[in-house]
Amino acid sequence: MPGLVGFYTFGEGRENWDASHFIHYGLSALQGRGQESVSLAVIGPGNALHTLGGKGGVEDFFEKNGTGIPKGFIGIGQTSSYVDDHLVHVKAPYELVLALDGKTDLHENRGEASKLFARQFSQLLHSEKEPLKATSMLINKIGGGYSFVALTHKQELISGRNPLGVKPLETGSVGFDIAVVASETCALDVMGIDHTGPVETGEVIMFTPEDIRGNAPAADAGNFCSYEYVYLARLDSKVNTLPVATVRNNIGRELAKAHPAKADVVIGVPETALPVANGYSQEAGLPQELGFVRTGENIRAALEPTQKERLVGVQLKLNPVKSAIEGKDVVLVDDSVVRGNTLHNTVLNLKRNGAHQVHVRIGSPTLISPCPYGVEIPPRDELVSSSLNEKELANNVGADSISFMTVDELQHAIGLPRQNLCMRCFENGGATR
Amino acid sequence: MRVMGVGGGAREHALAWKLSLSDHKPEIFWIAENRNPGIYKICKDNQGELRTGRTTDPKTIVRSARGWGVDMVVVGPEEPGFHGIPDALEKEGIHCIGASQELSIIERSKADLRRLQWENNLPGRLLFRTFKYAREASDFIRKNIDTQPWLQNIVIKPARQSGGKGVKLIEDRLAYLHDDKERFKEAYFDSLQESMAAYSDIEDKILVEEKAWGPEYSLQCFTDGKTVLGTPLVQDNKSAHEFDSGPETGGMGSISGPDMILPFVTREEYDKSLKIVEGIVEAIQKKTGRSYHGMVGGQMMLTENEGPTIIEMYSRLGDPEALNMLAMLKTDIIDVFQAIVERRLSKLKLEFTNEDAVVVKVVAPNGYPEKKDKAKGHPVQVFETNIKRNGCYLFWGNADLQENGEVVTGGSRLLALMAMDHTLPPASARIEKTVSSIQLTDGWGLYHRTDIGSEQLLAKRHDSAERVRRLYKYREEQGTLGRRMEWVPKVGKVDPSQLLLKEMRGPEKA
Repeated sequence: MPGLVGFYTFGEGRENWDASHFIHYGLSALQGRGQESVSLAVIGPGNALHTLGGKGGVEDFFEKNGTGIPKGFIGIGQTSSYVDDHLVHVKAPYELVLALDGKTDLHENRGEASKLFARQFSQLLHSEKEPLKATSMLINKIGGGYSFVALTHKQELISGRNPLGVKPLETGSVGFDIAVVASETCALDVMGIDHTGPVETGEVIMFTPEDIRGNAPAADAGNFCSYEYVYLARLDSKVNTLPVATVRNNIGRELAKAHPAKADVVIGVPETALPVANGYSQEAGLPQELGFVRTGENIRAALEPTQKERLVGVQLKLNPVKSAIEGKDVVLVDDSVVRGNTLHNTVLNLKRNGAHQVHVRIGSPTLISPCPYGVEIPPRDELVSSSLNEKELANNVGADSISFMTVDELQHAIGLPRQNLCMRCFENGGATR
Repeated sequence: MRVMGVGGGAREHALAWKLSLSDHKPEIFWIAENRNPGIYKICKDNQGELRTGRTTDPKTIVRSARGWGVDMVVVGPEEPGFHGIPDALEKEGIHCIGASQELSIIERSKADLRRLQWENNLPGRLLFRTFKYAREASDFIRKNIDTQPWLQNIVIKPARQSGGKGVKLIEDRLAYLHDDKERFKEAYFDSLQESMAAYSDIEDKILVEEKAWGPEYSLQCFTDGKTVLGTPLVQDNKSAHEFDSGPETGGMGSISGPDMILPFVTREEYDKSLKIVEGIVEAIQKKTGRSYHGMVGGQMMLTENEGPTIIEMYSRLGDPEALNMLAMLKTDIIDVFQAIVERRLSKLKLEFTNEDAVVVKVVAPNGYPEKKDKAKGHPVQVFETNIKRNGCYLFWGNADLQENGEVVTGGSRLLALMAMDHTLPPASARIEKTVSSIQLTDGWGLYHRTDIGSEQLLAKRHDSAERVRRLYKYREEQGTLGRRMEWVPKVGKVDPSQLLLKEMRGPEKA
C-alpha cells in the first residue's frame, strides 16, 4: 500500500520551489503506509519529466541519492510497502507518470493493473480534448478501489479518487503559492500546508498552469476502508473528515463496553493500539500502564514482507516494562490480529515476566479475507482467524481469554453508516487471494 | 441632476445601477477604459452616455465633466485617485466623491500606512520594515531572525502599488524547510527590486510585514472628513480557487449580512474596527491638511496580537465588496453623496437592510490571474431570463462591448453574479443554479468559486475566528494586547515594537 504526495506551485517565482524537498517530508510522514520503496517524479524548466525510484525507506532514499534527486517545481511521490513498487511512466500518446494507492480491477496483479490503468489514462487524455472530462470518464469506467496522483508533460497534476472511495486522499494549500494532495492530512501538517478538505469520492481535482479544475463528486458518499481507522492511518491524521485519534479512542471504549475483563491494568501493544488501550482504560475505569518500550525505528510489523522480518520487528519493538505487569492481571489491547505471531510473542513475554492472567482484547473484528484493494492482508491460509476460533486462538497464544470486536461494534465506533464502510477483510466473501 | 462616474468594473456597474434607482433621477454619464456593457446600458437608459478614455488622465476626465456639465463625479477605482483626478475636478469647481491624491497614500503606499499607524500609536497595526534593495532585506532578515522571531512568518509586498506585483506569504516555522523558504523569499526580493526600479519617486521598494492569521473582512465607510459612517461588513475571498487555494486575485466573491456584521464577527469587533478606520482618516487628514470626502475602507483581519487589525486600506470601495454594500443600502445614494459634498454626513440617516444576506461570486475566464493574455478576447453569451428567473443580478466587470454588439472578455474578472436571501447559503446556492447561464461561445472555460457563502466555508471562517478570538481575548485580559514580547537566550527580553520605533526615529535625527 503506498502513501501518495502531489506538490503544485503557482505564481511568480514558482521555479524557485524545490518540489522534491517538500515531497521528501510529506513521504516521511506517510511511511506508516509503507517503507519498502520510494519513487518520485518532478517537472522542472522545459517541461521534461524526471523520475527516480529506489528500494528502502524515505530517509535512506533521499540520503543515498543526495544531489542525484531530480529538481523541479512541481512533482509527485510515493512511499510503498511493496518492494520495487514504482511510479508508472507512460511516454505516449500523452506522457504521464502515475502513483496509485489501492488496486484497479484491470488485472489480478496489482502492479500490472496500475500499468494498464496508466496506459488507458494516457490514451484518454490524448483522445479527449478536455483532460478533466477524460479523467472523470476513466475513474467511472475502471473499477476497483483506488486514489491516485498523476503528473503530465503539460505541467498538469491530476488527482482523483474513484467513486467507491475506499482509499483516502486529502488536499491542502498555503499562501497563494502552493497546493498539495496527499494520502493523509499528517503529510500536509509536516509540509507546513493547511488542510482544505478531502478529495471526495468520484472527484477529480486537476492543477494546471491556468487554473485548478474539479468535476462534481459522486452523489454516493462512498465505501471507506475501515482498516484505515483500525491500523493504517496515522494517529494525527483525519480520514474522510474523521480524526483517527477520536475513532481509535471510541474503538477502545466500545471494546471495553462489549468485551469487559476482570483485570488490574490495561496495556496496549505499541504503537497503533496505545490510543485504543487508552479508550478501553477510560471506559473500564482500569489504569492504563505503558507496558512496552520500543527499540529502534517504528516498525509496522504487520506490513513486513517476510516472517523473519516480522518477528525481528516484534521482538525489537516490545521490551516489557516488568514493574508494570509483575503480579498483575492484564488486559492486553491490540488493534488487529493478522497471523497471530505478534500476539503469541507478546502474551508469552508478559507471562514470562510475571503477569498473572492475560486477557486479550482486539480493537477490530477477525481478519478473515484478503483485501481486494491492495492492502497487504495476506492470503486466507496465513490469516490465523480464518482457521482458529477465539478459544483455540487463546490457547494457541497462551492467553486466558481473547475477544474481538464485532463488525457492528466497529461500525458503531467509527460512527459512519454501514453502507459507507468497506469491511470486506472482516467478512467472508472478500477476495480469496 | 447630472452625475458622472469613472471606472469600468463590476463595482462601477453597481454604482451606476444604484444611481439609476435614485429618486433624484440623475442623468448618468460615465468614463471607463472599456465599454462595460452594463454601464453602457444604464447610461443610455438614463439620458447619459458611456465614453471610453484614460481614467487616470486628469485632462480627459475634466474635459468630459465640463463638456457634459455634470454636477458631481463619483470615482470608482483607486488608480484615478492616485493620479489626482479628484484634485483636478475640484480645482474646476466640480464636486467629486473620491479621495484626493495626497489622501489616497493610505492605499498607494503600504509603507506610509504602517508608519502613520506607528507614529500616531494607532491600534490594529502590524510590525514591518521597508527596504530599498533586495540585498538589504535579506541581510536584515538573516541577521535578526533569531532575535526577532516575527521575521520567520512574513508577508512581502511591493511598498507601493505596482503593476501586477502581488503579495507573498512566507511561513518559515519548520526548520527543515527553512532553506526552501529563504531561497523563495530572496528571489522575490530580487524580483521586486527589479520591477520597482522604475519608480524613482519613493525611497521604499520592498515592504516586509508580520504575517498574521485569522478571518479577514472589509469595513467600507463613507466620510465627509468630519464623520465616518460604517457600512455592513463584507468578506471578500482573494484566492482563485476553492477553500482558499491557488493564486491571488483581485477578489473572487464576497459575502455580507444579514445584518451589519458577519456571522463570525462580533458587534464589539465591528465597533473597534470602525474606530480604527476613523483613526486612520483623522491621522491622514492631520498629516496632509486635506479633507477626506468619499469612500474609505479597512481590509481587516482578527489577529492574535491585536484583535481587529488593518491589513491594507482602501481609498475607495472594494471590488467586489461594493456590490454587497450597495445592495444592502436603503438610503438614496444621491442623498449620501450630497451629504458628503455638503459635509453634513453626521446628520444623515444611513440605513441598510437587516433582512437579507448577500452573496457575490465573480466569474473569470480560465487563465486569470496568471495568464491574462490567454483569458482575453473570448466572446460571451448570457441567458438573461435565466438569471432573472433565479433572482440573481449580473454586474459586468472586465468585459468589452464591441461595435457589433458582441461582448468579449478583457482577460481579468469578467463579471459578478449577486443573490440575496435570508441567510448566506441559500443565496450562494441560487448563484450556483444560475452560473451556467454565462458561457463563452468559443468553448474557452470560465470558473468561479462554488464555496463562497456555503455552510462549509462559513464553518471554517467561524472556527478560525473562534481560535484567534480566544488568543486575543486572553491578551486583553492579561493587559498585553498590542504588545510583542520575546525572550531570547543570551540576549534577554526583546520588544520588536520598540526596535521598530527606534529605527523609524533614527534616520530623522540624522
